[in-house]
Amino acid sequence: MSDLFRQSINKETPPRPKPTPITSTDPDDNSSSSSSADSTASINTVRPTSSEQPPPPEHWSNYFAQELYLSSSTPTSSATYHVYLTPPTDPKKGPLFITHHGAGASGLSFALLAQNLRHRLPEAGILSLEARAHGSVVKSPEDDKEIPDFSITTLTADALAMINLTVAHMTWPTLPPSILIGHSLGGAVVTQLATDFALGTALVGYCVLDVVEGSALEALGHMQTYLASRPSSFASVDEAVAWHTRTRTIRNAESAKVSVPGLLKPLPPSSAESKASGYTWQTNLATTTPYWPTWFTDLSPHFLTARGAKLLILAGTDRLDRELMIGQMQGKFQLTVIPEAGHFVHEDAPEKVGEVVEGFWRRNDRGSMVLPMKVDQMLAKGMKV
Amino acid sequence: MSDLDKAIAQLRACRPIPESQVRELCYKARELLIEEGNVVCVDAPVTICGDIHGQFHDLMELFRVGGDVPETCYLFMGDFVDRGFYSLESFLLLLCLKVRYPDRITLIRGNHESRQITTVYGFYDECLRKYGSANVWRYCCEVFDYLALGALIIGASTDMQPTDAPLVDPNSQAHVPSDATDLEIEILNSSGQIINRFQRQPRQSGNSQDLSQLSNPPSSPSQTQPDQTPTRSGAPGTSATSNSGGSASNSSGAVLCVHGGLSPLIDSIDKIRLLDRKQEVPHEGAMCDLLWSDPDEIEGWGLSPRGAGFLFGADIVKCFNQKNDLSLICRAHQLVMEGFKEMFDNTIVTVWSAPNYCYRCGNVAAILELGEDGSNAGYAPRTNGDVGRVGGPLAERGQDLRMGPGRRYRVFEAAPQDSRGMPAKKPVADYFL
Repeated sequence: MSDLFRQSINKETPPRPKPTPITSTDPDDNSSSSSSADSTASINTVRPTSSEQPPPPEHWSNYFAQELYLSSSTPTSSATYHVYLTPPTDPKKGPLFITHHGAGASGLSFALLAQNLRHRLPEAGILSLEARAHGSVVKSPEDDKEIPDFSITTLTADALAMINLTVAHMTWPTLPPSILIGHSLGGAVVTQLATDFALGTALVGYCVLDVVEGSALEALGHMQTYLASRPSSFASVDEAVAWHTRTRTIRNAESAKVSVPGLLKPLPPSSAESKASGYTWQTNLATTTPYWPTWFTDLSPHFLTARGAKLLILAGTDRLDRELMIGQMQGKFQLTVIPEAGHFVHEDAPEKVGEVVEGFWRRNDRGSMVLPMKVDQMLAKGMKV
Repeated sequence: MSDLDKAIAQLRACRPIPESQVRELCYKARELLIEEGNVVCVDAPVTICGDIHGQFHDLMELFRVGGDVPETCYLFMGDFVDRGFYSLESFLLLLCLKVRYPDRITLIRGNHESRQITTVYGFYDECLRKYGSANVWRYCCEVFDYLALGALIIGASTDMQPTDAPLVDPNSQAHVPSDATDLEIEILNSSGQIINRFQRQPRQSGNSQDLSQLSNPPSSPSQTQPDQTPTRSGAPGTSATSNSGGSASNSSGAVLCVHGGLSPLIDSIDKIRLLDRKQEVPHEGAMCDLLWSDPDEIEGWGLSPRGAGFLFGADIVKCFNQKNDLSLICRAHQLVMEGFKEMFDNTIVTVWSAPNYCYRCGNVAAILELGEDGSNAGYAPRTNGDVGRVGGPLAERGQDLRMGPGRRYRVFEAAPQDSRGMPAKKPVADYFL
């Protein structure tokens, strides 16, 4: 009996407990041993129960406390939104980091960043949203088909609905003090949310990850070619993960293992005749093509003028367009460049992004912000100025 | 011709000098800079320049417009490197000039003169590309640590000797004071033609003075429109009297030059002198603030959106100037599309000297000339932060603001050849959705 075989047999023997979501107090407790953790469970909280296996390290429950399916319906649409959530310890104090992924990515794109932020700020909450056709499903009540509307207005409305539904579901009195973090398309969505003042004064600041109007619009021309060069299916999840790391789309293997499975769905039965099992992309990006320019047009002026602290994290220096270059040199926002990371900055360098975002929160946290005294206050106190 | 003169000639041609020469130059520069205080004293006349950012050909244009070293005495307020494609040549040329003519050129530190910033914004990569190793970058960073944090200009005249240059636009003659007495501000284009002039305004008593800044002066020929030319209403005035022709002394207070601005931890110039500057720019604290802060239309202090330093309002500047017997704070750090911007009743000015910043911003650049006070046999009393001048509430001091020095701005555009030798554009990103 080979060692490997013996190991694999031994591994099978002990009874396997159900996976336990991480508790809201100790973000490091990834062990799936005891603690039934019913306190954080709720009706809509879905935890994997079908399998007896402990969650593998790349399972979402290692990074978020719960996932929520939030339903909402209007006369024209019926939505089932999907979000991952780790609630903040104190919803009044926050902070709540609300993340929105880019096109073709998923809520788990922020898994490692979420873990890192919780490590730095144990009281913080993370809410990772999933856009329609990226985990959330918005259907038309008439024909029960998904509504292929990916305009920035619609995606922003979806994001706002998810945030409001989460607040209602958690029975928080109001939205905790929040920082919006958006990657790529998500950056456009969070900037739009800030521009619309949709979160009111609860919004402390917003952070955009590696997207700039000028260079994004420029890159759109090449995007069809890029999409065409992607494999249309993968034989296995591992193969998909390997593809992402090999092409350096995602440079951090640990993150790719977590985020890539969420990008896939099993091949439909029709094509399963040829392949026994296989996976394809969950999101058909081709259907979003007509909406691409609307995502990024006016992103720079909106980013500069919306209310709230502004942070731009880029993976390369040369991506600032003229408007942001002027804005940066006039000191209108904070710019951090992480040259060693690729486009998926938060996946490639979660520690570095976590460090910058933590500093951004601490600096702008209204609860603890202490500014130097004003001159007239000092004079009023009889102080020497 | 000495080795140093040869190096200057070579750098003027935008050709880097060998690594061994850089090492020697940096060593000499450090020996020189270590003798300077945190706040260098500079006598007027002097020409003050803002950010350069490695735009070598524009630096040459600056010297063409402002006069060459050593004929013209210069003060550069930092940010010599990063962003542009010739940080190395620009900084080494300035450093060579400093070593060759120590009394004719002053260099102070900007927030980009730092190891951390240069590794991200281009200077480090440029050194690596041009020398194949990081040695030169390391030598330069050691020099950065020795650069002064500020400069104090004394002996600047409140009077300005008007140039008898022609007007850019003869039609605007009706608006530009032809009577060249009591001039406070003169704006010239790169050919030395007068774009505009402003006479000193009497300060109205009891009136808090219109806060209108000289924010958008028609500073480049293309922007000059006779209709918009301010006559008297837009002209600045901080003087207590319109008649300053006394012969005893018409010197203004001192002018403080610093890259960024003020710090809540610094209420007097002497406090700057107490700092230990020979280090990497810290993330916070007084030294960081001096290099990172910005003036803003707020009251008191505010959080800087940059993530470092502070914002400070008019009250802070006026209080600081009064306490330290300054007539003006001169700083750089912020891109100004018009090249310069005076704020807060002309108590602070931003000077920006990188035209068409980063080869794409479309701005003009400016330098600021302060004249020498020729009266009093050239004797300038040292007026830097005298102790005991201060006392009484702010209301009384408001009228005590020093008369600003006469200011001549020379506005210039990007050198046409600056696009030469630009590296090929980086390929666009693969994925951007």
